[in-house]
Amino acid sequence: MQKNRSPNAVVLEIMDYYLRKLILIPYFLLASTPAAEAGSALLKIEFTPRSPEQMAAFYEARGFPRPMIDILKQQCFITVRIHNNGEGVIWAELDNWHFDANGKTLKREHRDYWKRRWEDMQVPLASQSTFRWTLLPEALDYQPGETEGGNIILPRTGSPITLQATFRTGVDKNGPVIRRRYENLRCAEDKK
Amino acid sequence: MTTRGTGYRAYLRLAMFSCLLSLLLTGNSMAAETSPPAGILVYEPGLAPLFRLSDMDGLTFDLEAARGHWVFVHFWASWCGPCREEMPAIQRLDKILQDDPPEIVLINTAEDEDTIFSFLAELAPELSTYMDRDGSATEAWQPRGLPATYLVDPQGRIRYQALGGRPWDEPDYLDFLRALKN
Repeated sequence: MQKNRSPNAVVLEIMDYYLRKLILIPYFLLASTPAAEAGSALLKIEFTPRSPEQMAAFYEARGFPRPMIDILKQQCFITVRIHNNGEGVIWAELDNWHFDANGKTLKREHRDYWKRRWEDMQVPLASQSTFRWTLLPEALDYQPGETEGGNIILPRTGSPITLQATFRTGVDKNGPVIRRRYENLRCAEDKK
Repeated sequence: MTTRGTGYRAYLRLAMFSCLLSLLLTGNSMAAETSPPAGILVYEPGLAPLFRLSDMDGLTFDLEAARGHWVFVHFWASWCGPCREEMPAIQRLDKILQDDPPEIVLINTAEDEDTIFSFLAELAPELSTYMDRDGSATEAWQPRGLPATYLVDPQGRIRYQALGGRPWDEPDYLDFLRALKN
């Protein structure tokens, strides 16, 4: 749904954008760090891997059909919480997130893939809905001060996972790009 | 006399036009008289998706029938951590507002009665919720995440959205909500 920000918010965002540009120039020269990296302090991301047992217990408690749970237990769930600590809009677009392990790309399935799969299995609408709301949105414009979260689902791997992500900024996505690299993410294993 | 009468009528027309214009303008900005507190987004007014849902006792709420007053539409689920934190504040808000606007309408997203009953009994026993049993109302609204609260104006338009959970019973939020006149 279309938002209408107050004129003050727009002015603040423009000031914030140009101020940050000014502040980043000397930093850029001294540290040879991309501006986007320097700006990334405005963005905080937390990752919490979930074990198959945890996920199965969660979905079982909500009456999910057994075949659906069996499929989900084979996946690697990581709960992600994104905090926008800045004054401007930050876009989290999962198409701009790339996961790899052992030098190979790990394909994250889009929520549409899961939708089709559950529809094919004739999973009840309530379970489909709950499942979708527990996923991280495919694209969201995080507002200043906003925190949202959800799960991402990857193929299970025992190897460390690297995530390279870029985030566009600004209402029209034309602000400085934030680039992040996270290493050693892991799929959680069940306790033995 | 005639000339004077024509001038007077023209003056009256101008005055009436000015009154109408100012009524229109204040009508549109009435909700914005108190600027929203932190975490409340202002929306370009657009019609809220309609829904008709019932609660565990069979009572029904129809958003279309609620035209004429402000409605606080709140989507939640028991599995969402911030919902757990926010719900007691909504219960306190409900108690403070009593019959004053906005009308508080809770919508649980696709959970069963046992889950809802246990959650509310523990955290907000004085509240009741409408049940979006198959999740279709939530899908139609497409909240940014859960919890999600929208303020729908008396014309049925979404005017504000809260980002995540909010301390609704704190003075800034109470003042803002109390300024929403039906």
